[in-house]
Amino acid sequence: MNFEAVIGLEIHVEMKTRSKMFSASPNSFSRKPNSEVTVFDMAFPGTMPRLNKEAVRMAIRVANALHMKIDHELHFDRKNYFYPDLPKGFQITQQRRPIGSDGYLEIRKNGAKKKIGIERIHMEEDTCKQTHFVDYTLLDYNRAGVPLVEIVSRPEMHDGYEAMKYVEAIRNIVVYSGTSDGKMEEGSLRCDVNISLRPFGQKEFGTKVEIKNLNSLKNIQEAIEFERERQSALLLKGEKIRQETRRYDESRGETVLMRVKTDAVDYKYFPEPNIVPVKLSDEFVEDAIATCPELYDSKFERYLALGLAEKDAEIILSSPDMAAYFEGTLPSGCEAKEAANFLITEINSYLNKKGIAIGELGFDPLELGKITLLGKKEKLTHRQCADILFKCLDDHCSIDVAKKELHIEAMVDDEGAILSFVTAALDANPQSIADYKAGKERAISYLVGQVMKLSKGKAKPSAVMAKLREELAKR
Amino acid sequence: MNYLDMDILSLHEALVEKKTTPLELCKEAIRRAKENDCNAFEKILEEEALKEAEQLVEPEKDNVLWGIPYLAKDNFSTKGIETTASSNVLKGYVPLFDAEVIARLKERKCVLIAKTSLDELAMGGTGTTSHIGMTYNPYDPSHERMVGGSSSGSAAALASGIGSFALGSDTGDSVRKPASFAGLVGMKPSWGRISRFGLFPFAPSLDHVGYFTRDVASSAVLLSFLAGRDDKDMTSSYRPVEDYASYLDKGISGVRVCYFSEIVSSLKDETMKEKFLSSLEELKKRGAIVEEVSFGLDLLKAVYPAYMVISCAEATSNDANLDGIKFGPYYDGKNYEEAMSKARTAGFSELIKRRFVIGSYCLMAENQEELFLRAQRLRHMIVDRLSEIYQNHDIVYLPAAPSIAPRFVDASDKLSAEYLIDDNHLALGNFAGLPSITVPLAFESGMPLGVNAMARAYEEGPLFAFAKALEEISGLSGLSVMNKKEGKL
Repeated sequence: MNFEAVIGLEIHVEMKTRSKMFSASPNSFSRKPNSEVTVFDMAFPGTMPRLNKEAVRMAIRVANALHMKIDHELHFDRKNYFYPDLPKGFQITQQRRPIGSDGYLEIRKNGAKKKIGIERIHMEEDTCKQTHFVDYTLLDYNRAGVPLVEIVSRPEMHDGYEAMKYVEAIRNIVVYSGTSDGKMEEGSLRCDVNISLRPFGQKEFGTKVEIKNLNSLKNIQEAIEFERERQSALLLKGEKIRQETRRYDESRGETVLMRVKTDAVDYKYFPEPNIVPVKLSDEFVEDAIATCPELYDSKFERYLALGLAEKDAEIILSSPDMAAYFEGTLPSGCEAKEAANFLITEINSYLNKKGIAIGELGFDPLELGKITLLGKKEKLTHRQCADILFKCLDDHCSIDVAKKELHIEAMVDDEGAILSFVTAALDANPQSIADYKAGKERAISYLVGQVMKLSKGKAKPSAVMAKLREELAKR
Repeated sequence: MNYLDMDILSLHEALVEKKTTPLELCKEAIRRAKENDCNAFEKILEEEALKEAEQLVEPEKDNVLWGIPYLAKDNFSTKGIETTASSNVLKGYVPLFDAEVIARLKERKCVLIAKTSLDELAMGGTGTTSHIGMTYNPYDPSHERMVGGSSSGSAAALASGIGSFALGSDTGDSVRKPASFAGLVGMKPSWGRISRFGLFPFAPSLDHVGYFTRDVASSAVLLSFLAGRDDKDMTSSYRPVEDYASYLDKGISGVRVCYFSEIVSSLKDETMKEKFLSSLEELKKRGAIVEEVSFGLDLLKAVYPAYMVISCAEATSNDANLDGIKFGPYYDGKNYEEAMSKARTAGFSELIKRRFVIGSYCLMAENQEELFLRAQRLRHMIVDRLSEIYQNHDIVYLPAAPSIAPRFVDASDKLSAEYLIDDNHLALGNFAGLPSITVPLAFESGMPLGVNAMARAYEEGPLFAFAKALEEISGLSGLSVMNKKEGKL
């Protein structure tokens, strides 16, 4: 590659507040179109915006997690344009004074940390959802007014991997701070990529191309790599890059032209007159930060300290529900690593088999912790513990009932008890003793089987073997 | 005199003593409304009002607004009642909710008699641009003179004795100017004092809910019920609401009053000038300290252009929702753009379109600095100048208009190269959000002349005390065409 790619990202995140950004309409992502709409969302004359405090709190948390300067005075502006998805004919946003500015986040690349600068984070309201058909378009006003934060990075990324890691880090922050579902495939986290190429060492930016419709981390990385190659090939042929908007076609693995950008739209911004600047007290800002749920990075470090492998910590943290479940096992006093193993292996396979999410498991994580403790406490094998777990999951029964129904009892490794089984077995099988003495190793296997039979399977096999050899030597 | 012509407190007394009933008042108001020929109404709510009035049987002694008939400008959202702001673009629009002021009056059991006409979408000051045509001044039976606007129907109807008060809205002078032309008390309190929720916006940074009464006391009584925080309007104030009527008899002794030399000297109407100057003498007799102050001619000349730029810019954005898609007449088209264009082309009059073009032009990126931002800076300078003046004075007192109501043939809403500083200064109160009240001063050729007083923000109380003194000086309390008076000046 002869060119350096310069990449900046704009990420829109839908916040999961109880009500919308500027109206009292519920914000519960109902699937039934146009069921969560107030007169404000439809821009009926005389309706006025009411700022959602919860959204401000969430935006502060995200801004803080991104090491941003937080503006203690909120200003809002109108962005004016006509579009069918914009009922008021303008969007209320924060053009002049975003709530957060000048921050960064860290990604890991080749084992080293890299800082990516973030220019701004601001609050705004979402538009209607449009569904296009051949000769008509349907509008769903449920989405009109859903609170958004927009996070604008500096153009400081240089390949698809970095961009993907950056989006992943943002997603982790918004998900773990409780701000958003962060589901790219459902549009609750939307990412637009700006990418330009320039010869290495050149200061000026090349012509910028925008890529939209990126609905997974994988697509972001692939789209950028494709675009790098496309633009690079054009430049090598001596052609110019057009300023255009493209979308990623997942099936072809290519970016496709949507439209060539002409002059930028003039949004005729001006201050929103119905929201006078809102002063945020230090207490409000501090409280929002202090009450922020524990974020991904902190949990990750903590899990490692609990003895989890990096890989396991990542798997558990890939879903906040899984992480919550994992943390729910710990008060049982179980080994974190043990609980993690059960969660990653047994619980996950069970979920896959049933096709359900961990939230639908209906099994108290504390109980899982207790099951893992049985290994040590009652000297059960991993297999036995797993059987108890599956029984509990299937039958919604208690651990004791599961144990009873599965006839699982603790292994006997008490020396006296094993000795008595061993003695009884030896006494009953003089021929086997003779065979053993004659060098037939197979005879000892038979004797182990006899001991297990006598102990009804409860004797610990390794202890039995040791004791047998010891006693055989004496005879 | 009919009970309907009384001030609110006297009428309340009569209602409590059962000398009259809400139903009788309602019937009389509707009778007068139907007879009225000023073209003041979008809709007379005969059925609704009578139904409501019928249910008001047992007087509520502690509720001075019980059974009081009133009018509302048709840019206040009224649940279940078509509200068009006198624009074709909203024809057939029936709101799903009441404006906050309408809801408060409903709760007090006031009876809404009619929705009144206005200059389309409250833009304009002539009362000539409603989709139902011109509104006439009831003091001029020849119908040659305007009543002013944009709250034209409310002014014309209240001056015709229909109801006890009328709601209006005031973005530049839309209550206080027509009040002057119709011999009424027109009040616009501080910005944020009355919730604007449900008022169709024109330019929210300048918009105020205002109202007309026929006497100062009624105006003071009303404000105590209309004012107060409303969570639905984030700009409404948390400041406690006062008993404004308690200020009425405080007098004006020691009150520092000023008038602007530039405006008074530019008056061409000698009667206006003479009556205004003699009122100054009367104010002094009552103990007021009256001083002439120069505001600054350049700043006064900037008022109207700055007002036009800011108000048109905000209006073009506020009215972007009127696209015929969600409400109002729908026009089919092959796509959204076409449907919207058709609705807006057919729905707005030329004057409105011109204002949208001006507003949009001022907001364009390449023009913002020179026009919109410059107008904002001018607004700040003007507000700063007012603050300076209020350091040494309590009340700014001026003629509300240069003269009596103009003839339609002499008036135009078009921008003029001539700066009419004495015709546009009321917008100062909108720029700074100050409480401002117009009261009748005298008559000239049978037409009323009004004066205006403006106080510091949230000093509505002292403003009412001053207005009360003016009312005593003029002797024009309870004025209407049903109850004509000569006046003392």
